[in-house]
Amino acid sequence: MSIAWYLAVSAIVFSLGAIGVMTRRNPLVVLLCLELMLNGANLALIAFSRMWGNGDGQILAIVVMTVAACEVCIGLGMIVAIYRRHLPIDVDELRELQG
Amino acid sequence: MIPLATAHLKGPHIDFAGLSPLIALLGGSVLVLIVGLLGSRWIRAQAVPSLSLGALGAALGLTIWQWNAQKSIVSGALRIDDLALVLNLVLIAGAACTVLLAWRSLAAREAAHGEFHALLLSSVAGMSLLAAAQNTVALFVGLELLSIPLYVLCATELKREHSLESGLKYLIVGSVGSATLLYGLAMIYGATGTTDFAGIASALSNGSLATDPLTLTGVALCVAGLCFKSSIAPFHQWTPDVYEGAPTPVTAFMAVTTKVAAFGVFLRFFDVALIDTQVSWGPALAVLATITILVGNVGALGQSSLKRMLAYSSVAQAGYMLAGVVVSTQLGVRATVFYLAAYLFMNMAAFAVIVARERQTDLGDSIGALAGLGRERPLLAWPMTISMLALAGIPATAGFMGKFYLIDAAVSGGYTWLGVAIVVGSMISLGYYLPVIAAMWMREAPAATSPNDASVLAPTPGPLPALAGGSSELDEDGGPLSGSQPEVLVVAVLAGAATIFFGVIPQPLFDLVHGAGSGLGLF
Amino acid sequence: MLRSYLPAIVFLVLGGAVGGAFAVLNSVIGPRRATPHKQDPYECGLPSEVKRGMRFGISFYLIAMLFILFDIEVVFLYPIAVELRAYGSYALTETIVFIVLLFVAFGYVWRRGALEWR
Repeated sequence: MSIAWYLAVSAIVFSLGAIGVMTRRNPLVVLLCLELMLNGANLALIAFSRMWGNGDGQILAIVVMTVAACEVCIGLGMIVAIYRRHLPIDVDELRELQG
Repeated sequence: MIPLATAHLKGPHIDFAGLSPLIALLGGSVLVLIVGLLGSRWIRAQAVPSLSLGALGAALGLTIWQWNAQKSIVSGALRIDDLALVLNLVLIAGAACTVLLAWRSLAAREAAHGEFHALLLSSVAGMSLLAAAQNTVALFVGLELLSIPLYVLCATELKREHSLESGLKYLIVGSVGSATLLYGLAMIYGATGTTDFAGIASALSNGSLATDPLTLTGVALCVAGLCFKSSIAPFHQWTPDVYEGAPTPVTAFMAVTTKVAAFGVFLRFFDVALIDTQVSWGPALAVLATITILVGNVGALGQSSLKRMLAYSSVAQAGYMLAGVVVSTQLGVRATVFYLAAYLFMNMAAFAVIVARERQTDLGDSIGALAGLGRERPLLAWPMTISMLALAGIPATAGFMGKFYLIDAAVSGGYTWLGVAIVVGSMISLGYYLPVIAAMWMREAPAATSPNDASVLAPTPGPLPALAGGSSELDEDGGPLSGSQPEVLVVAVLAGAATIFFGVIPQPLFDLVHGAGSGLGLF
Repeated sequence: MLRSYLPAIVFLVLGGAVGGAFAVLNSVIGPRRATPHKQDPYECGLPSEVKRGMRFGISFYLIAMLFILFDIEVVFLYPIAVELRAYGSYALTETIVFIVLLFVAFGYVWRRGALEWR
């Protein structure tokens, strides 16, 4: 199978994630979309790694997996903290800071 | 299946000498975390920051020990050269200032001291890794090791809503930046088949690969991702919000050290790995730099919050520094590194004064908190004045030398109009730096004097709003602050003095950055 | 050789288009009937028993997050496990250092009381 198909899927996943981050307002969904973006990149890395026949891309992909887990945990932690303080859970309502 | 790992692989030779500053920082981070669990509150509040200063000192010593080393370590993942070492010095100095500024801060207390300083140290380790990164894996690891602790640090003042909000906002924007950068790195890997900067450079140097759409898309995505991180327009919108919401010591840390790390990557990745695509990204970055200078300087006009003003100012300064990257010359590299060092002194002086005033008044970081400072506390007013003048680029300050150097680099690199943009931007910037100076020296002190002075004369003036800056909030751990904050004063005075010193006698700093330019193989 | 990359770019554009199309279609043709149940915190079809503002099980989230963090670290052990012999004692030392660091984190989490079920 041609590399192009893998890349197509990865590009679609990445773009879906990017669009989701920009359009969605629930921070949980935004976190999900961030994961989509990272995983889209991961898919591309692994496809390229196979195409070139070296492991560099796979190593980066493993690192990305852990990084994604860390980011999501911190995001969830902050959302829980915000929820406990009864702040609005809506990224557009978190605009108090804008002036 | 492809044979990914063959049996004859050996573990890479690890040069522990070269890695030692990093090991000191990360070891210090673990140690501080453990010590944060032990002992009484008072011991923790003093021992933990002292230990983290110790770790930074050890890293500083080891960096100096490695001076003049020119080597690639860990299978070529990291490069220890003058650029990495000079940036290390700037990073460690910035982190040490932050530790001092945060010594009595609410943020450190809420994060149980240990966590705050462990996060700070691991973020510095990430920056140091980033400044030395020589392949895309190390680049990504460094970037995330930098960013993830910072997201948490922004949110450490859990009792203050803005702090949490700024943390979440920074997390989302920062992660979008990382993901974009990662996709760009994946495409460059796809085009060249290697993650090594030198490998990428040699793959791109032979012929048409440099104009291949895959490469160019990758480069564009990398530019966008790094612009998010270094707050370059049009990816800067998060900067004022996050800077304003984060605890002030953390803002100071972010403002200075993330810029250092981000520009370290810009220099190494763009001026080494992607040098053969310079014709593609050079003009694009030059345009971005111009937009950034204008947007930052215009945005800062009329801000009443000092932290917001400094956030926009940092956007503008990032634009100036980008000029040194664009030209891809040794002179450009030196000018950028010089400006980064000057930027450390200028900003630390300003932020130290803001931290001090936040604790002394209930006006927070509003410009009104500085009114009448000139007569009341000249030791705080002078560093702030020097810092504002230096940021605006007035002669006899390090900021002037830095800008002069950058303009020189831009003009001799064939980007005269970029030099003109820097000059125009500096002129606009007087419009928001001078009012701060005017407020300090010409306006009368506000009627409600600082709680510390008031407490001497009269009973404590009731509970202060929690948003004022936090230090007035009673906490079971430590209690309210006494009036004197010698460590903040030391940071302010030292940074202000360094700004003047390197403005009048820039030669030591010139010598320091001289080697940084020659290590990258540019002309 | 170079031509073969061109589809990647085409697909990137296509990806954007498809992604955008899904997002737009979803908001255009998706049914939007805001019933009271859907406005509830949990949309599982059943009447929600959770009142807004109720304290929800923080411990559950905390432990789930900690689990994810420690769980994902195994991903670094797989490649080493596969090639342990090839790398010899070097890999073993690295693994031990890695696991000791994980234990430090675990001990910290424990001592800070994040594992207590409240």
